Amino acid sequence: MSDDLEAGDRVEIKWKGSTFSGTYISRDSRITVVKLQSGYNLSLDNSSISSIQLLSKHVPKGPLKEGPAGKGKPVFILGTGGTIASYVDYETGAVKPARTSQEMLYAQPDLAKIAAIDAEIVMNILSEDMQKGDWLRIAKKIYDKISQGEGVTITHGTDTLSFTSSAISFLIENPKAPVVFTASQRSPDRPSSDAFLNLKGAVKVAQSDVGQVCVVMHSSISDDELSIHSGVRLRKMHSSRRDAFKSINSEPIGTVDKNLEIHWRNYERINSRPMKIYENISERVGLVYFYPGMNEELLHKFADTNDGLIIAGTGLGHVTNRFVPLVKEYVSQDKIIGITTQCLFGSVNLDVYSTGRNLLEAGVIPLHDMLPEVAYTKLSFLLGNFDLDETKRLMTTNIRGEISDRRTE
Amino acid sequence: MRFLIEEQNDVKIGLEIHFQVSGRKLFCECKGEEGKSELGAFTRRLTVVSGEKSEKDIAAIQESMKGKEFQYVKTENSCLVEMDEEPPHPPGKETLETAIIVSLILGCKIVDNVHFMRKIVIDGSNTSGFQRTGIVGLHGIFKTDSKKVGIASITLEEEACKKIRDEGNRVVYSLDRLGIPLIEISTDPDIHTPKEAREIAQSIGLAVRQSGMIRREASSIRQDLNISIRGGNRVEIKGVQSLSQIEKVLAKEIERQESLLEIADILRKRAVSANLRLEDLTSSTYFKNSDLFASGIKSGKKVYGFSLPGLSGVLNRGKFRLGREIAERLRAVGIGGFVHSDELPNYGIDEIAKSEISLKFGGGDYDAFGLVVLEPGRIEECIEIVQGRVLESLKGVPAETRGATDNGTRFLRPLPGSSRMYPETDIPLIPLDSKYLKEVENLVPPTVEQRVAYLESLGIPRQEAFNSLWKEYDDVLESFVKDYGNPKLCAKFLSVVYSTEVPDLDAARFLAGRFSKGNIPVESLEPLYREREFVLPKGKKIILSNDAPGGYSLWIQDENGKEEIGTSYRMKSDSSGELVGIVEKVVQDNEELIRERGEDSFKLLMGSVMKQVRGQYEGREISEILSKKIRERVTKGEQAGQKR
Repeated sequence: MSDDLEAGDRVEIKWKGSTFSGTYISRDSRITVVKLQSGYNLSLDNSSISSIQLLSKHVPKGPLKEGPAGKGKPVFILGTGGTIASYVDYETGAVKPARTSQEMLYAQPDLAKIAAIDAEIVMNILSEDMQKGDWLRIAKKIYDKISQGEGVTITHGTDTLSFTSSAISFLIENPKAPVVFTASQRSPDRPSSDAFLNLKGAVKVAQSDVGQVCVVMHSSISDDELSIHSGVRLRKMHSSRRDAFKSINSEPIGTVDKNLEIHWRNYERINSRPMKIYENISERVGLVYFYPGMNEELLHKFADTNDGLIIAGTGLGHVTNRFVPLVKEYVSQDKIIGITTQCLFGSVNLDVYSTGRNLLEAGVIPLHDMLPEVAYTKLSFLLGNFDLDETKRLMTTNIRGEISDRRTE
Repeated sequence: MRFLIEEQNDVKIGLEIHFQVSGRKLFCECKGEEGKSELGAFTRRLTVVSGEKSEKDIAAIQESMKGKEFQYVKTENSCLVEMDEEPPHPPGKETLETAIIVSLILGCKIVDNVHFMRKIVIDGSNTSGFQRTGIVGLHGIFKTDSKKVGIASITLEEEACKKIRDEGNRVVYSLDRLGIPLIEISTDPDIHTPKEAREIAQSIGLAVRQSGMIRREASSIRQDLNISIRGGNRVEIKGVQSLSQIEKVLAKEIERQESLLEIADILRKRAVSANLRLEDLTSSTYFKNSDLFASGIKSGKKVYGFSLPGLSGVLNRGKFRLGREIAERLRAVGIGGFVHSDELPNYGIDEIAKSEISLKFGGGDYDAFGLVVLEPGRIEECIEIVQGRVLESLKGVPAETRGATDNGTRFLRPLPGSSRMYPETDIPLIPLDSKYLKEVENLVPPTVEQRVAYLESLGIPRQEAFNSLWKEYDDVLESFVKDYGNPKLCAKFLSVVYSTEVPDLDAARFLAGRFSKGNIPVESLEPLYREREFVLPKGKKIILSNDAPGGYSLWIQDENGKEEIGTSYRMKSDSSGELVGIVEKVVQDNEELIRERGEDSFKLLMGSVMKQVRGQYEGREISEILSKKIRERVTKGEQAGQKR
């Protein structure tokens, strides 16, 4: 067997007494993959192949044809991971993610009709691998672009999208141009992918006058409407559906219809106050999901290694009374302990039950209707840039729309 | 001249036979058979992006998808997987086993690992935009008494959505059928005559059914045919629903292809040109007596004439039908009113008008002309299509995908290039190790030949044994013979029982039980067959009636003359409208079938209706209502077609 085969080479294979030709795709220690003329891949056990012979070498294709860079108000697309644009090489079956603006336009042919596109892939990581330092890098990139008045669309994996969108919301104050996140729940190699509409809608919103960080994703499982969510009020609420993202404790700030018209509801326009970027973030903040049976030792570990701790408590914001003395101890060490609710919907209220009152007395900060993840990024942002008193004050102050006093649902 | 199909190797036919597998759907836990009621809908669009060489292809696809919207109706037997809102689950163990068993029955080598692929499908019939499909068996040989046919591959794939409505830019599908497992058997092009094709399809069907996992609904088995004759191109024929249709359709298709080759021979000697001279004839006086053209003009359409240099006599004379070929291409884009000079005088255009028009467009011996009535602004597209088909006529048989009809085939679209496929990464490779395959081998049922030989050993005549397998009453037959002896009589009796289009399995199973318990002398079966009535001990009666068109049904009456099987023996008349409701539902559920086969769908649909109302209504009333409803539907479809 020849060992120097490359994907795309034409080969002839003898397998279980049959001889046939195909395109060599790959081989590992157990299996050789060939693609038949009919398009099917065959994964053959190496042990069952009696011979594999090169017929002709693969002739690599030229680069993609140059397309127009697009017409319309310019938008910068920042790729951070999770593919939102890709194309399939059916000859080998390889799915190729778009890495340049040229490829982005090729893979998203309608974009050129909407905007003059420039694109850059700043990082390509799974969103669960995202670190706080990555938020700072992304913020810097965005800041550079919007300083020139150009709207930015950031593509991101869906899993931790709402962490990043809220971190960017805090790190950039008074953005001078739209900052719009988007993602896809179905990979863009599929004809049915939500990526196509999501990206078009996000680019459209990046051409608007929106002055708060937002996220554009499907409103329903139909390809007929997108919701524009505030970057600090949304959460992924389904592991696989297109309409996984929901605004919690607030309405989406607008929608984009299937003709890409934007319908605003209640949104912040770009304002004339000076734009500012914060360049620090605290690495010493933790997020704990309280559960019955959770022991004191675990709380110790979290509190000892961090300067601030967000606890997603039960119901109105409770944890076991066993934790009350511990909380008191840590607060006396100038650590910040904030409470949110696992219910996500609704606000914490520590005045109703005795446990809540005990926690308040011990010094926890009730964080209103802020989502646990948002409270976590906010505290990380505040501890990185402000002193303790200011951090405590701002934690319960609405600075980017992350807290509301009124809820109607 | 062509010398025909007596030279067998001139014709090459390959079959693609699809069987639905019963049980759960391929990639989720929904049951294919259950819960078809509708639960709301959602809409999607599809986009295809590819990095392939022939970007023209892709551009054409993107163009065709522009503005196209698909609506999917959710059903009780569909879940997030069918909605493309959740990754596929691993395929069902039994389903995969069935595919392996079928591969073994057909002498295939089983793959080492099943590797599911995504095959791009852009007509919206799959919510994902692709069909998941994987090869299970390869390179088999299937033998019948007289013939050996190569089996290219056996694949396991998901069934597509059923189309409910096509509104042009918006197509409505139901999720009911999506995801039902399909086994596709592709033969090599080793078949040389229509009769052989039918026999092979029948034998493969019989062999595969021995697995006991093949669904039995009217639409659950479909055949596609590939056929080419020497000097022509491959033509794919889609959607052949029955065995008898295979032979008919192929015979017609061979005639068509032969005549196209002859036409090409003739035209190469003539001055044929695709340089067509066009004139707007809307305001001329030729059409005042022509309903077709006058009514078109009245509704705002225009009439154009154009030259067809060199085509006289091949458009429509004797076996030559190039005119129909052109008309089919036009109809595929919704242009209906095409008439050519070979058909004239007709349509209210007399000989005088014909020769005057003819003079306008050349008037040479071989020159023909065409007339078309269509919406203003579509003439360029129309001429382009005509030109394309005229040029192809010089070459012979164009490579096309055609649809099966009752009297042959009709153009659907040009034959697509090789399919666009890439790996389905959501489903891990499924290794089929030798230990597992050994276990499955033990599940392979006896072959048809083995089973027939066994039934013969019981004294059942060979042909009756075959029939019993084909109609799936071999088990009943076996138990009859074991209980009562006299195999010939039992076989004869049961062949009558099962001669209905849809076998009355319940009645027969009941009867079988009755016979075994009641110890009824076998001689008694004869009067039943002869006199259609047999009195059981205690005054009960078995009645064989022939109220169902094309067959018989069996009834058990109790001592008071009341029916014991079914809901009520007394025939009702449909005063409540219940019967009409049932018929309408059947007609609606089978809209696609009716569209394809028109009034010929009657027999199949009658079977479905009878299944629900057998014994409740007079057969005549049922058939009248059904044929009326089918006719209404066919007429409606034609009108809708004209509108487009």
